[in-house]
Amino acid sequence: MKPSLAVIALALLSPVLLAQEIPGAPPPAVQDQSHLPHVVIVSMGGTIASRAADRMNLTNYGGKGVPGVSPADWLHDLPELNNLAHITTVDLRNPPNSSGESFDDTFKAARELNKIAADPAVDGIVVTHGTSTMAEVAFYMNLVVKTDKPIVFVGSQRPWTGISGDGPLNLYDAVRVAASPLARDKGVLHCMNQYINTARDVTKTIGYRVQTFKGVDVGAIGFADPDKVVFYREPMRRHTTSSEFAGANFQSLPPVEIVYSYIGAPGYLIDAAVAHGAKGVVVDGTGPGHLSPSQTQAVKRVQEKGVVVVLTGRVGSGRVQQTPRNTEAKLVTGDNLPPEKARILLQLALTRTHDWQKVQRYFDEY
Amino acid sequence: MVSWCLRRVRESRDSADLAVSHPRFKKNRTLGMAPLLLASCIPLYTGAQALPKVRLFATGGTISGFAANRDMQYGYKAGSIPPAKLLADIPEAQKVADISWEEIAEVGSPGVNTQILLKLAKAVNAWLAQPDSAGAVVSHGTATMEETAYFLNLVIHSKKPVVIVGAMRPFTSISRDGPFNLYNAIRVAADPEAAGNGVMILLNEEIQAARDVTKTNTERVNTFETRDLGPIGFADEDRIVFYRRLLYKHTYQSEFNVDDLTDLPKVDIAYGYQEGGRAAVDAMIADGAKGIVLDDTSPGFAAAVKAGREKGIVFVQSDRKGSGRVLESANSGERGVVTADNLNAQKARMLLRLALTKTNDVKEIQRMFLEY
Repeated sequence: MKPSLAVIALALLSPVLLAQEIPGAPPPAVQDQSHLPHVVIVSMGGTIASRAADRMNLTNYGGKGVPGVSPADWLHDLPELNNLAHITTVDLRNPPNSSGESFDDTFKAARELNKIAADPAVDGIVVTHGTSTMAEVAFYMNLVVKTDKPIVFVGSQRPWTGISGDGPLNLYDAVRVAASPLARDKGVLHCMNQYINTARDVTKTIGYRVQTFKGVDVGAIGFADPDKVVFYREPMRRHTTSSEFAGANFQSLPPVEIVYSYIGAPGYLIDAAVAHGAKGVVVDGTGPGHLSPSQTQAVKRVQEKGVVVVLTGRVGSGRVQQTPRNTEAKLVTGDNLPPEKARILLQLALTRTHDWQKVQRYFDEY
Repeated sequence: MVSWCLRRVRESRDSADLAVSHPRFKKNRTLGMAPLLLASCIPLYTGAQALPKVRLFATGGTISGFAANRDMQYGYKAGSIPPAKLLADIPEAQKVADISWEEIAEVGSPGVNTQILLKLAKAVNAWLAQPDSAGAVVSHGTATMEETAYFLNLVIHSKKPVVIVGAMRPFTSISRDGPFNLYNAIRVAADPEAAGNGVMILLNEEIQAARDVTKTNTERVNTFETRDLGPIGFADEDRIVFYRRLLYKHTYQSEFNVDDLTDLPKVDIAYGYQEGGRAAVDAMIADGAKGIVLDDTSPGFAAAVKAGREKGIVFVQSDRKGSGRVLESANSGERGVVTADNLNAQKARMLLRLALTKTNDVKEIQRMFLEY
């Protein structure tokens, strides 16, 4: 018991502002960085930028009065990053006590990423973000940022101050990937737990464990292994440089809402979404994409008002297929995208067309 | 039976008369397959003239397994149903391709040997070299399917689709998976979008890359998985869809060629475990092995490797855990042991055999393991 008591005592005594979990003895820093690639770390916050007073606090960190971890703190705690790349940072976190992230923050970040990526001095970009919505934000960037330079999303499941925190190695690996020429032109990437996934296909699958991100259906495309960064595959769907939205500077997008399907799911939620201004609706259907009878009726009503309806499947993997029944019902099928990503693609598609068949093409190609 | 078939590789000339004219088909009609009789009532599609030409290369396996009763899912005889009958069972496939066939062997997975591999590779290469061929399907037992698939991935010199297919339940079983697997394999082999993806394995509507896929379950239909990396596409009903492009070398990019080979260097696999000694490795070398794949580690391997290296034996280090890479450490270089990257032992064996047809140089072989 003695050691654990000592550890707890130490943890309680440690100043809140110091990260506690990173062992000492970093390797000697590279003095001359001129030969290293230039990687920009963009902080959009997240658990990786959060701290708690107690290192056993893994779920209730942050909050009022607890300062976040700034990009400067990361560099201070991880001097090894300077051996991987010449690092500069951009802080896009919301001010403390703001109302939390909105789509406006995503638009702003997209503008910033387009700007940074266009800088010829920059070789790669790392973006930190909270893990809960990072996959859909990364997918948005995958569609609107015009670059073949690596953009790597990273976060952590445990706060920067947590015991066995995954943040430091995740950040270290993300910088390695962003600095790797092999990572170019593969769309926006995601690297946590040593897996390199694509923004389109990665999804958070577990609440708190570190192995949460999976490339649903199609797996990872590479690994950030201790000996090297290695890629086995690249995505075939359109992204970044081949996206027709690349470089676009959106200030707003047509509103699209998501409706879940289940036994007896009422159609009035679909009517309500449209009454509140939705130009598109994503219905997350049961099984391979089935709606309740009441939802089927509601879909017909809103389609008559020009609303485009996309069908996804709540099962979590596999494609919603273009069956004759779906085509007859003028339902855009969401391929294997989860509803939150189908929503983003539909919002972008609706900036170009309200013809459901033309919207279908976006879902076939992106 | 096997040797008889090996002597006689037969090719069909006209896919339309497969169902009625093949002598062995008639012989096997006594099987009394009610589903087959029903299927044969569906009229053959004869309208389009320009269907892509796909050839089935049959090697046997559970997909052509025969058991006396339809509830027998084990204890069947693999490779009993001739290719003509496999095809006659799915007349729907005639709508997607102009199908012919060759019988390479009629064995189960464990019966596939170097001679069958070479014969299969040469036959598939010859077919794909014909200007009017579209693709190839290989029917195969599932237990070693991934080995044959990876071998073909290294020695087929064509961008045209090559799809390996099998089944977990015999031809005679209720809820057999073979017909739909074969139908989808033909669809993929006929699809120009499937070109350039290397050799693929298709069961259960999932299109898997030969290099990365492995059999993960002894008997369930969802046995083939690609751990970490996943499938590269799907043969869905509405469309065949691909999501991934492969970054390592395969098929048309490969430096390996078996056109003039009649045999391959002997390579064996030594399994690593607690208290494992060197006896197995020594015995393999005494039996003529030119290369050995060490699957994980045994305490006895170090001494065996030292002795083996002096005799010019090439060692490859793989790992029995089933996913992840063997890391490139300075240590492995000093030992003169090649790291297998994330290839499993049975696939590392295939690459090492082909590598040894070119060189004994450990550095050069390491390059091959990093490129293929």
